[in-house]
Amino acid sequence: MEEERVVITGLGTINSIAKSVPEFYNALREGICGIGPITVFDTTDSRTSTGGEVKGLSGKDIFSSQFSVKRMSRSDMMAMAATLEALKDAGLFPVPDELLEDTGVVIGGGAGGMLECEKAYRYHHTDMNQKVRFSRFSSLCCASSGDHIASKLSLMGPKTTFMTACSSGATAIGYARDLIRNKAAKVIIAGGTEPLSRITYASFNSLKVVDKEYCKPFDKNRQGLSLGEGAGIMILESLDHAQSRDARIYGEVLGYGVSCDSHHMTAPDPEASGAVRCMHAALQDAGVHHTLVNYINAHGTATPANDPMETLGIKKIFGERAYKIPVSSTKSMTGHALGAAGAIEGVVSVLSIANRFVPPTIHRTEPDPDCDLDYVTEGSRKADVSIVLSNSFAFGGNNTSVVFGRFTEKGVTNE
Amino acid sequence: MVTPLGVGKNIFSQKLYKGDSGIRPITSFDTSRFPSSLGAQVSDFSPADFISRKNLRKMDRLSRMAAASARMAVDDSGVNIDSVNMDRMGIILGTAYGSTDVSVQFAKTLFDEGPRMVSPSLVPNSVMNAPAGHTSIELKFRGINSTVNHHEASAETAIAYAAAEIKRSSADIMLAGGVEIISEFFFEILNRFKALSPLDGGIEEARPFDTMRNGFIVGEGAGILCLEDMEHAKARGATLYCEIVGWGMSAYPSPPTDWPSNPKGPALAMTRALESAGIGPDEIDYICASANGGKKLDILEAEALSIVFATKGKGPYISSIKGAVGESFSSGGIRAVSMAISIKEKVIPLTVGLKNPIKSLRFILNTNKETQINFGMVNGFSSGGTFVSIILKAL
Repeated sequence: MEEERVVITGLGTINSIAKSVPEFYNALREGICGIGPITVFDTTDSRTSTGGEVKGLSGKDIFSSQFSVKRMSRSDMMAMAATLEALKDAGLFPVPDELLEDTGVVIGGGAGGMLECEKAYRYHHTDMNQKVRFSRFSSLCCASSGDHIASKLSLMGPKTTFMTACSSGATAIGYARDLIRNKAAKVIIAGGTEPLSRITYASFNSLKVVDKEYCKPFDKNRQGLSLGEGAGIMILESLDHAQSRDARIYGEVLGYGVSCDSHHMTAPDPEASGAVRCMHAALQDAGVHHTLVNYINAHGTATPANDPMETLGIKKIFGERAYKIPVSSTKSMTGHALGAAGAIEGVVSVLSIANRFVPPTIHRTEPDPDCDLDYVTEGSRKADVSIVLSNSFAFGGNNTSVVFGRFTEKGVTNE
Repeated sequence: MVTPLGVGKNIFSQKLYKGDSGIRPITSFDTSRFPSSLGAQVSDFSPADFISRKNLRKMDRLSRMAAASARMAVDDSGVNIDSVNMDRMGIILGTAYGSTDVSVQFAKTLFDEGPRMVSPSLVPNSVMNAPAGHTSIELKFRGINSTVNHHEASAETAIAYAAAEIKRSSADIMLAGGVEIISEFFFEILNRFKALSPLDGGIEEARPFDTMRNGFIVGEGAGILCLEDMEHAKARGATLYCEIVGWGMSAYPSPPTDWPSNPKGPALAMTRALESAGIGPDEIDYICASANGGKKLDILEAEALSIVFATKGKGPYISSIKGAVGESFSSGGIRAVSMAISIKEKVIPLTVGLKNPIKSLRFILNTNKETQINFGMVNGFSSGGTFVSIILKAL
């Protein structure tokens, strides 16, 4: 049985620098920074006060009374907004009746309904009944974003939620590819969503991995990451199905790889063994020789530990050619949207292929001798990007790399 | 496995077949302010028997149950982990709510004392993927590692994903299953959701598929299976329990955290699992059901079973072990282990708590049923409208 090829036919995102994909493309090209003072909650007593926040998020604006936002968390709303954009972009909204049973949802999550459930945690020991509305709890389980999407759109295909911290969104895209390949679905809404929340913010601050200003990936004076939020969604579709309805094809999900550091819960293996194994697995799964990769969307969190580790890993995979491949961290613009990061960066990767450009790494002023690759620090550049490797590494040592490619009828040839 | 019936598959199956229940009054916190007071708690669990001292102290209760179960699964498989390729060994776990006990502790400090007072040592355990992360560090697994989350279907999703990974040759051995703990916070949420027995103010009891059912009893525990590529297992002369031959997943529109009334979703998952296994409905001998004594789930599953297995024959035997182990959300791990044992021992466990079935299906009540099981199905149906069915085959 020949395996189905899986293509991308729609994109959607909401994040700190854009509320739609066209806006996102412009912001990426111009190198706009979305990291600023946080307003969604009070940061007075925190070590830091900045982040990549989605400003003015309103259910009514997003859904124009098409769907009720009742019982939806911030995380659910962002996922739903990106989903609607992606479906419309793919020409699949509303999802045709004959496709409902063959359309699935695979979401990568993080804090889920944490922002809404904080009060529940807060008053749990005292008088929760008086202080917390019941409706707040329905998004406690991170599966709620996928549940809302599938239920509101009447979908009956496979539905799964990944919870692997910062690699959730990337894993979701990879797994969705597998489901279509195995003919469990024809279309999958795949991506990730992540809200800012006090609990997440305090967690990262307590680990002292947050920069007080804004993150500076690959810079000598980098202090850590900037937390972000948002959602990234892509419509994955079997090639046969996409072609049968003459859909516009943005690109192809060629492969993905997952590995585990098995080293430390919150610090990466400095020898980059986990990162190398997952990049290698992704390239192997994609059937792509490493010499064909012409853009790497880095995990690039700007923590002291990640950036030299990732740089080393890239060198171990690509050898001398590592210096010739543009590598950028778009987290320098969006902030680190944790569970959504892999998905938002998936959207970046696909845009770079579709629009033949490489987005920049902003905020790097002083090079770190241990981070000496081409990080595209002078601003975005035009480039004939055809194969992208997108990295997501997470707490728990969960690493995922995804390989996206320009779609061609005959597929990738390694000659 | 670490279960309310005991630690390890031997004690578990002994008690399960005796018709024992792990449901007791909850002792780890005061339940007097809630309408419910029972739970299927894990007791007599000494994690130090299974986990190295160095790693043990970094783990919370959730991760300890997972890591201990993983160790038992590896030991039972006979795999010598020093002699295999650790890059091709992985783990995928399901958990619905994760370490709610740690999150509460963290949040309490955050809100009572301020963000500067929270302990960084709690952070690694507050993420949902902590059990799988800790377990890989303990067992030195370096292959695929993932955590999935879908209410009551979390573990079934994990098992289906792990099996698919072996099928696509990205791993030789995958541990897969689920883990969940009862915390006071979680118990309070379930009470607020109006999910727990006794919803009608009657007797508090788990009664899967029973006309008198009035909500479920919450449970906890971990169940993990060691899945292995068939050739890889045969090559090392392993003892095999059964083969995973198919799985099906579906969704159906439903209100948030509630159930749909139309049985089409679960029926689709079962039908897809049968198609994926390449067998007909009359070939299934036994179904380890998802029913837990909940008002809506049990009738939904019973109706879906009637639709899918409406064949000329008598239909498959059906039982639910949630009357004995409670509803632990990621119970699919424990229930898949239970199915593997049933296939091997050729005995179907009775459904504790079932006296008056809601439908005339072939429920196993009162006594265990000794019978050959060629194909067994494990159902994981979840609120919010997610449905997963897995099919295991005797060898």
